[in-house]
Amino acid sequence: MTASVTSVIAKFYEEYAKTTPSKLKLIDAYLFYILLTGIVQFLYCCLVGTFPFNSFLSGFISCVGSFVLAACLRLQVNPENKGQFEKISPERAFADFIFAHMVLHLTVMNFIG
Amino acid sequence: MALIYSFLVLLLASYINADKETLVLLDNLAIRETHSIFFKSLTDRGFSLIFKPVDDSNLVLAKYGQYLYKNLIIFSPSVEEFGGSLSVEAITKFVDDGGNILIAGSSNSGDVLREITAECGFEVDEEGATVIDHLNYDVLDQGKHTTIVADTANLIDAQMIVGSKKTAPFLYRGTGLIADKENPLVLEVLTASSTAYSYKPDSPIEEYPHAVGKNTVLIAALQARNNARVVVSGSLDFFSDEFFSSPVQKALGGQKYPKSGNQDLSDSLTRWVFKEEGVLRVGKVSHHKAGEKDSPQYYTIMENMVYEIEIEKLEKDKWVPFDAKDIQLEFVRIDPFVRTVLTRGADGVFRTEFKIPDVYGVYQLKVDYTRVGYTFLNSATQVSVRPLEHTQYERFIVSAYPYYASAFSMMGGVFVFSILFLHYRTNEEVKKKSE
Repeated sequence: MTASVTSVIAKFYEEYAKTTPSKLKLIDAYLFYILLTGIVQFLYCCLVGTFPFNSFLSGFISCVGSFVLAACLRLQVNPENKGQFEKISPERAFADFIFAHMVLHLTVMNFIG
Repeated sequence: MALIYSFLVLLLASYINADKETLVLLDNLAIRETHSIFFKSLTDRGFSLIFKPVDDSNLVLAKYGQYLYKNLIIFSPSVEEFGGSLSVEAITKFVDDGGNILIAGSSNSGDVLREITAECGFEVDEEGATVIDHLNYDVLDQGKHTTIVADTANLIDAQMIVGSKKTAPFLYRGTGLIADKENPLVLEVLTASSTAYSYKPDSPIEEYPHAVGKNTVLIAALQARNNARVVVSGSLDFFSDEFFSSPVQKALGGQKYPKSGNQDLSDSLTRWVFKEEGVLRVGKVSHHKAGEKDSPQYYTIMENMVYEIEIEKLEKDKWVPFDAKDIQLEFVRIDPFVRTVLTRGADGVFRTEFKIPDVYGVYQLKVDYTRVGYTFLNSATQVSVRPLEHTQYERFIVSAYPYYASAFSMMGGVFVFSILFLHYRTNEEVKKKSE
């Protein structure tokens, strides 16, 4: 059972390293970084308690929001999905990404107290 | 000139002594003589007594809307109908408007007396019924065991109303009262002992007596919600000269007391019922933030607040600062959020300091002091408590530093990522460019 799971994971990793373009790997690395930050923050909240709840929410939402936006960028920039995003060029996708981040960070700063 | 001056002085004097105007209604004017010690003690204390026969057709309590008397003494137990403009309704209205009444009944009480006492919360026993106690009657009793001796142990525990309990026992001859136990305003001042009962002394007992044992009330009192006081005694002889000066000794063996305690008890009772004792009033009420002096327009949650109240007691016609250790303050917004005890300062002012709770709203600072024998003390002051302003919240909380760090790191991360993303060129693109 475990042998098949490990072999699946190894195969997946090999395929991923071979077939994914480097640009997408860059986005994936960025996504991983956001995920780590979010998990650390959540664990901290579980340990210490929710005292400044608005600060916790604000920090956590900032991580979650960034993750979602980066995932959307990855979708839109992936050349394999070109058929689904005909009207949206990669440059347009990146511009949307930056604009949405502006709004996200403005909200986060306001709510963080 | 001198005439006008003396007239003005008289007017002023009558205004000051308006609380001592007392109308005394008598069955027959002989009562004035048989109860002379009682009436003399009242006039010695400054009361101006006006004696009238109860069926006098010129009886008025109020003239042109103003009451002529502050107190009423009804020593006419067998009255059938009041004269003049007096009636049960007029007397009830007199109490509703703040007048005090002292009523004495006897074994042949009229129905009118029953109606008045029923309005006040007590029931007088039937016509002819007398309190009989075969174990506690006096040596001077006529044989029917109706002149009973009431011990001081049967007195209510209220020094304001009955004075010290260390007097001699009391002599009593009259009818019994029944007080409604559900009524919170009624006080049983003197009850009969557990061997007493109230019934017609000459008839054989065929039914259960209305009042038996400790339920037989001899003297009952009521303090109405407007602080008017009513005392009803089932015995007119209780106040008589004969009983005041008579020695007391239980016929079935007991200590002989040279003088009954009737005069002392009637003294304390009249002091209480005519509002010479046990009268409180609220003076100045103030509240402010701790450390300040003036009352602010509004308070903010979680601030410290100081409350001060002056309470005065009437003592020998003068208002002096009151002293008690159990006056409570309630900070109420529908339910009380804070309930503390007020402590008396050196200047006689009761004050306390407390922290306003974490809930905003409109609150009332309530002092509600109800004690047996004292007038009801009520004071309510309204304050508003606002929530924190937008700038009054805590900022840069140390325990939130990780959250601040993560938010800024996200911003930094976007910045770095976008630089890398935009300037990223794969090997093919670099080769293409260089071609």
